Amino acid sequence: MKLRTVAATLLLGMIAAMPAKADKLDDIIASGVLRCAVTLDFPPMGSRNEKNEPIGFDVDTCHDLAKALGVKAEIVETPFPDRIPALVSDRADVGVASTSDTLERAKTVGFSIPYFAFKMVVLTRDDTGIDSYESLKGKKTGSTAGTFEAIALEKDVKAWGGGSFRPYQTQADVFLALSQGQIDATVVTNTVAHSVAKSGKYKGFVVKGDAPYVTDYVSLIGLRQEQGLLNYLNLFVNQQVRTGRYKELFEKWVGGEAPDLTVKGVYY
Amino acid sequence: MLNYTFHWRPALNALPDMLSGALVSLQIAVLSMVIGVVFAVFLALGRQSSNKLFYGFSTGWVELARNTPALFQVYMTYFGLGSFGIQLDSYVALLAGIAFNNAGYLAETFRGGLRAIPHTQTRAARSLGMSAPQAFRLIVLPQMFRIVFYPMSNQMVWALLMTSLGVTVGLNTDLTGVTQDLNVRTFRTFEYFALAAVIYYLLAKLITLSSRLFAWRLFRY
Repeated sequence: MKLRTVAATLLLGMIAAMPAKADKLDDIIASGVLRCAVTLDFPPMGSRNEKNEPIGFDVDTCHDLAKALGVKAEIVETPFPDRIPALVSDRADVGVASTSDTLERAKTVGFSIPYFAFKMVVLTRDDTGIDSYESLKGKKTGSTAGTFEAIALEKDVKAWGGGSFRPYQTQADVFLALSQGQIDATVVTNTVAHSVAKSGKYKGFVVKGDAPYVTDYVSLIGLRQEQGLLNYLNLFVNQQVRTGRYKELFEKWVGGEAPDLTVKGVYY
Repeated sequence: MLNYTFHWRPALNALPDMLSGALVSLQIAVLSMVIGVVFAVFLALGRQSSNKLFYGFSTGWVELARNTPALFQVYMTYFGLGSFGIQLDSYVALLAGIAFNNAGYLAETFRGGLRAIPHTQTRAARSLGMSAPQAFRLIVLPQMFRIVFYPMSNQMVWALLMTSLGVTVGLNTDLTGVTQDLNVRTFRTFEYFALAAVIYYLLAKLITLSSRLFAWRLFRY
């Protein structure tokens, strides 16, 4: 009797001591749903069509990833500043939201290898007389809070000593402020700039020259400690490029030469 | 919260920046309160006025300020006026939005305060030879402020908390603006927002305590 009690206690103890093995990747596969945090006011990466359905490069990428995992994709609309809270509070499994891979952020969140790359351009109205990045000096500028270009632009504005910088919470607010004259210029990703200038939604928007920043590589993001998931994301990005799907999606949403995702002279 | 490890040391390094942001927040709250009180006195009079235009204007203001979200009011002073070509600075737009809101709420508080003062006092003052404005300024107004002082300090706390809406119109120098800036840069959301919450709490406490001190000093018999 006593022996059986001891054995039972030992067994129970062993089960209790066994660490929970299932990680995020297992959870996604088991649940059958992949929840992607996507920013939907950032065309052509993420936006909504006339039927209010999410569309864009990021949305398609999420669907590809879900297909690879054999699960259903669910798009969780997430403004730029809320991407990490969405992951940490478990409202989304991965972020497919053009997240720049800064070292500062990598302390908090896990990055895949880059899945897209942006160049930055100056977007202004045709009545401001701004014709290059240098002529932004002393002007009223603004951008979307916390983005790669916002951080770079704010730094330069501070260094110039004149002019002003305003961070807005969404890309849509930046365009609204630019069209109303609260700001005279913004620095945005080339894809967004051309798509908004072409759309004719805002009168007088023109692209005026490149911003001299280093290429903005953006990654898929997951929780920092979910190495299993991050490994899968790396391979997924690699496969997207290898199979030509990356080029295909770029052609569909942006057009032209798809940017090189490798950095010359160094391993990732 | 199991999948998040707190990094308090770098967060605490940002405390000086956050505290200077808190000063800006406090400044906006105080200014919006001063402006709000001045407008509210006129609005409260307007609500009792027999002049149709004055009454209509005051009622319209109060209705709009009390029955729409403060976020809407701040957003409208910035982007709403902007679409008519009136460009306010983010700071000014936030200040104007909160002052508008304060005036609306305080006007109703003041109206209640005015009602609590017996009309016989005004008549007594007039019979002693005071003019109507004199009677209002010297007899009615001081008593009204005593009656409405605690609801007023309530509104002051509310004004401080409303300054957090500045972030929607591009303000980056107030406490929420600074916090949000740190947040998007480092993604350490919980640390910075927790610190901001503590600072807001302490500021609100400071306001309640100092208003109690003021009341004790000003309104002793």
